[in-house]
Formats: sequence, structure tokens, C-alpha cells
Amino acid sequence: MSPVRRFLSTPEAVAGTILLTALIAMALSASLLFPGDPQAIAGPALLPPFQDWSLPLGTDRLGRDVLAELFHGARTSLAVGLAAAAAALAVGSVVGTLAGFAGGLVDEVLMRITDAFQTVPSFLLALAFVSVVGPSLGIVVIAIALGTWTGPARVARAEVLSIRERDYVASARAIGMHPLAIAFREVLPNALPPVLAMSSVIVAAAILTEAALSFLGLGDPNRVTWGGMIAEGRAVLRTAPFLSIVPGIALVLTVLGVYLAGEGIVETTAVRRGLS
Amino acid sequence: MSLLTISNLTKRYRRGGKTIAAVDDVSFHIDPGETLALAGPSGSGKSTIARLVLRLIESDAGRIEFEGNDFLALGGAALRARRARLQMVFQDPLAAFNPRATVARMLDDPLRIHGIASRAERPRRIAALLERVGLTTDLAPRAIHEISGGQRQRVAIARAIATKPSLIVLDEAVSALDVSVRGQILELLLDLQRQEQIAYLFISHDLGVVRAIAHRVVLLEAGQLAESGDAHAVIDAPQSAIGKALVAAAPRLNRTRP
Repeated sequence: MSPVRRFLSTPEAVAGTILLTALIAMALSASLLFPGDPQAIAGPALLPPFQDWSLPLGTDRLGRDVLAELFHGARTSLAVGLAAAAAALAVGSVVGTLAGFAGGLVDEVLMRITDAFQTVPSFLLALAFVSVVGPSLGIVVIAIALGTWTGPARVARAEVLSIRERDYVASARAIGMHPLAIAFREVLPNALPPVLAMSSVIVAAAILTEAALSFLGLGDPNRVTWGGMIAEGRAVLRTAPFLSIVPGIALVLTVLGVYLAGEGIVETTAVRRGLS
Repeated sequence: MSLLTISNLTKRYRRGGKTIAAVDDVSFHIDPGETLALAGPSGSGKSTIARLVLRLIESDAGRIEFEGNDFLALGGAALRARRARLQMVFQDPLAAFNPRATVARMLDDPLRIHGIASRAERPRRIAALLERVGLTTDLAPRAIHEISGGQRQRVAIARAIATKPSLIVLDEAVSALDVSVRGQILELLLDLQRQEQIAYLFISHDLGVVRAIAHRVVLLEAGQLAESGDAHAVIDAPQSAIGKALVAAAPRLNRTRP
């Protein structure tokens, strides 16, 4: 059975893939379907959903098109979630590999730094970082990565500790390979699978953290975000609850989709490794 | 002058407050183009000596002189450069290769690291190495786990001779192979020695193989040198207790059932 078919044989993977595909389609088609500024005023304020079919999901307090905002928000959520997770995985696996492979003082220093980052709640860290440096998309990505790289670092280090005793590492030393080349060419690629297995959880957490930062008004003010939409709608929660509910549902479905698809991938690779 | 001289080599391990000497005051030498076998029961320190000689682990006391230089004094880039002259073949060829690697990459590494051939020239060199160890060149793009155990050990030997070393440490290099393949690999090793004058430090617990390939043998027991001398003389008439025990334990085809 091909990996793709095995992947699609589990119901959670199918559900996750459908949700993720829809989300990616939304993000990619946002500027095609809704050209122009999604934050521009499109109609009367607080129009409820399904009243005017040119504005299917209605408008918010300022008369902005909720559907357009939702599509453009998908972009921000995906971009921030993926970029933050990629940064966290990259930094984490490099730090973990160096610590595990070098051992001794380098290991001590790197792992105490990891401890320090891990003892501070990651959301608090992101909050503090954004409020000091200022909100922009890049800063939000860094802020989220700052609190999430420690998990991959620990997993990578544990894996590297077992790999560095293998014969092929001794063999690489015996032919005179540079220690850094051994760490990054021989050890790191073989330590990656369990680290990558964490990626779906990290992406999901990053999307939620971005939404929470935006909700608190610390997102990039020039971009529509789902968290920001929920915060906007909060002021009129009693009279126009749909303004909070619609982006809320989008957020739940996104995180669920990422998580289910990730589980499916982990399951597929686990089966493949078990067979070989 | 001898190629490799080991004097008073000692390696201790601390386990649960007690210090155990895995290698205890061992001395021997290897001449150019010669095969010296290290034999002994499990835990006698054979593999530890192999790793000490290659500086994969560091010794606690003693000297290692290689090609007239103090090998233990080298460090960093100087040690890495000198490693070209001193190679190793491991027991389990599957464990000794990066599981993601291809045959070509494994042979490319030593050529690249020691600047033996330019990037453009390397594919030709890799093909030549494969042919030298009796493999076909179409094996180059294959993954390590796709080829057979005997082929893998041939690739390991090709990797070891890529840098034109004067000494190869063979740590139980034929023990994991089945009997017919073992004979072919031993033939290949003897042929390489005749052509390129490579010396071998041949580590084995199998005295039959030792007798077939080694010029001299060093018998070890509990990290100490028990007996040494001409391979045939020692195996045919061992003097030490451990030598007699090892010879008595070796299976023979002509032995009758009691």
C-alpha cells in the first residue's frame, strides 16, 4: 500500500486533511475572492449573517465584511502557525543536537538555558516579548517560537544521546569527519523523526497563541486575525454574538484539522518504521 | 622500524566505586604489511584496544606510536588528517553505516574529507573502489539497507582503503558473515595486503580465522597480554592457560564425538 493511501485509510487523517485543505484554499483564494482591503467598510454596521447575500456572514461594528475578514484571517493564522512551528523545530533540534552531541559543559549550559525558558509560561513569555518589541507579524512569530522550542530541544537531545554511541558515528570519526559535520550530517537527520512527530501539536498551539495575542490587542494591527475579530466582537457579545462565534468556530476547526492530520502522519510513519 | 608500537597501554573504567582495568599494561607492535591478530574470550579487552588505537576513546596510560610519530599527542585537525592513514572496519556492517546513506555517499565521504579527489573526479574514484573490492559499479546509487551483508562489508572495506591507509583495524570484521562469504572477504583482505602492503590489526575470537590470516597473534585475558608469537606456533602449541582453553574450545571438523 502506498504511503498516501495508508495515510488516508484512517478516518482522523481524512477529516484532518479535508479541514486543512479547506483552510489552505481559503488562505490562497483570499485575495482572489475578496480583493482589496478586508478592513475597508463594505456595508451597514452590524448586519446579521444570511440577510444580504452580497455580505453572507454580515458585517461587524464598523461595517466590514465578516466573510472577507475570515478568509484573510486564515492567511495570518496559517502563516504565523507554520512559521512559528518551523522556527521552534529548527532552533530546538539544533540546540538539542549540539547539547546531546557535545556533552559536558556545552550540554550543561544549553540545557540550563532550556530549563530557564521552560520554567517561564510560554504565553507570558510571548506576551512580554511582543509588548516590549512591538507588534508585527515577524515579532509575533519569534515570540511564539521563543516559548515552544524547548520541547523539540529536549526530544532531540534524548535521541542524539542514544545515536551518538552508534557504530556509524564512530565510523565517521574514524574517517576523520569534523565533529560539527558528524553532528549535523550523521546524527541530526536520524534524530529528526520523533521531533517532527511533535510538529502538529506545536502548529496547533502556535495558532492558538497567535489568536490569544491578537485577542489581547498584541497582534499585528495591519492584518486581520481571528483573535482580533473575536476581541472586536466581544464588545457586542449580547447583541451580535455571531461576530465572536464565526471566527471562534474557524479557529476550533483549524486547530482540530492540524491536529488530526498530524496524528495521521505520525500513525503512517510509525507503521512504516514498524514494518521495516 | 615498526608501523605501530603500543607500549604499556592502560584503560580503566569506574563501575560502582570499583575501578576495573579493561586494558591493563598491554604492549605490542605491528610491522608494515603484517597482520597481527588480537584474540581472546569476550571481555578480554580486544575491542577496547581497537578503539584506543583509533582514538575513538582515550587511554589512561601508555604510548601509541604510529608511523614514527606520537599518535596520542595529536589533536583537532592534525588528528583528523592523520586518521587517513589508520582506518577501521566494524563487526556489523549495517550498524557502521548511516541508515539514510547510499553506497556512493559512504565512499564519497573519505575522498571529500581528505581532499583525495576533486568533485568531478569522485564518481570515477568511487567506481574504481567498488571494482577493487569486487562489487559492480551499479551498486553506487543503492541505499545501504538494500544490499546484502557480504556486499555491505565489501563497501566498508572500500571505505577503509579509500584514503590509502597503512593500517586497518578489523574489529571482528568477518564474525557476522556466513561461512562462504567469510572466506571471500578473507581472500579480498589477503589480496589487498599483497597489492598495497596494508597492515592489519585483526581482532577475532575465532582461532581458525586467525590461523588463516594472521602472521602473529596476541592472546589477551582480562585485559592483560597472556601470550604472543607466531600465529601457527601459538595456535598449534599454546603455552598459556587461556591459549589452551581457546584452542580446546575451537570447533574442529575432524573431532570425533566422545
